[in-house]
Amino acid sequence: MPTLDVISVNIWQIIISLCNLALLYVILRKFLYRPVKKMMTERQKKIDRQYADAEQAQEAANADKRKWEEKLSSADAEKKVILDNAILRAEQVGDGIVSEAERKADMIVEQAKREAEAEKAKAQDEVKTKIVELSSILSEKMLQREINADDHRALIDEFIEEVDEDADGD
Amino acid sequence: MKDKKFLIVDILYILGIILPLALAVTLKVLFTPASEGVAIHGAIIFFTIPMPIQDLPITESQVNSWCVLVLIAFLCLFLVHGVKEKCGTKRQLVAEWIVEKVDGLVKDNMGEFFMEFSPFICAILALSAFSSLMTLVGLYPPTSDINVVAGWAILVFFLITHYKLKGGVKHYLKGFTEPIVAFTPINIISEVATPLAMSFRHYGNVLSGTVISALVATALQGLSGLVLGWIPVIGDIPFLQIGIPAVLSVYFDIFSGCLQAFIFAMLTMLYVSGGFPADLYQERMKKKEAKKKK
Repeated sequence: MPTLDVISVNIWQIIISLCNLALLYVILRKFLYRPVKKMMTERQKKIDRQYADAEQAQEAANADKRKWEEKLSSADAEKKVILDNAILRAEQVGDGIVSEAERKADMIVEQAKREAEAEKAKAQDEVKTKIVELSSILSEKMLQREINADDHRALIDEFIEEVDEDADGD
Repeated sequence: MKDKKFLIVDILYILGIILPLALAVTLKVLFTPASEGVAIHGAIIFFTIPMPIQDLPITESQVNSWCVLVLIAFLCLFLVHGVKEKCGTKRQLVAEWIVEKVDGLVKDNMGEFFMEFSPFICAILALSAFSSLMTLVGLYPPTSDINVVAGWAILVFFLITHYKLKGGVKHYLKGFTEPIVAFTPINIISEVATPLAMSFRHYGNVLSGTVISALVATALQGLSGLVLGWIPVIGDIPFLQIGIPAVLSVYFDIFSGCLQAFIFAMLTMLYVSGGFPADLYQERMKKKEAKKKK
């Protein structure tokens, strides 16, 4: 088999080799670079899109958070107002109940006083009658004599009035 | 159903990667002459096509380059097969890694303006590295043929000149007379020297690796015969050839092959971006736009 010399220049071989390199450039461009670059740009687009989505979601979440915080703080204020109102009303009601109770107590005391006085008057009357009876019996027994009933009566009254005056004078 | 289809296409692509290599190895085995000891020669000529100026011999280096081309094409197809936005496979990681690394390299060395160069740099890296690495399967590396590397260097030279001319023909021609008119011949020589130096550097490194490996292997065979030759039977086996050539192979075939590919790509980037007069180009563009408006 014939072989080339170690150094042998051949113009056609050089041109073939030149074309080989140019051809490989085209091959790499078409088969390696184009698909990989296309995929990379698509991936970049997707990543950008996802970032935008994530940012949007974050913003929405922040807005929600702000809204809820506002609501929460307004609820606090509302609660305070309601509580204040309730306390005020309770105080009013309590005051009413206390004054009512005092009034009732006064009334009861008054009535009791009145009743006691009535009892006292009644007892005095009773004592008066008893004394009259007792003294008439006593005087009848002591004197042992008949006395005109009318005189008798006048005498006793006189006596009782004296006793009364004595009692009043004391 | 879809998975099955995917798998079948995958297998086709892998076959496309393996078959060119298998073809090259078969050709090598069929056409390699019986061992004639250590002989350092160029590529085997399969047949010759008559052409004007110079006949075109179709040699191992041509066939092997085409095999590399097909291999890389199928490798690309395999890597980007089933590429998705959500990275799911290792091969997609590899494809992305390659594209990103080469893009980064081009951006660092050439700037944003030359981003279109990324596939070209990738092509240089891949073609050069795979060509040199063909020695790993015992094939003739196309990069140790001066014609192959010279073709690449001339293409790069065209690119350099093209970008230099973007500053205007006047500016390009004026560049040769600097710093003084007397320097013109030297400047022309240095301009022509660029592709020559690039091609000789690459080709020489790969070829010298082959030569040194062959020399060391032969020397070890001789040494082995000298040391162990007195033992009957065992003396015929070159024991000393075990080990040391493998270390050399790691350096010359793998390290040097990849390094030369990287150097060639770096020089391409530096020469193209270095020769491009960016300021002048922008001025010219502005003028052109102004003319268009008129």
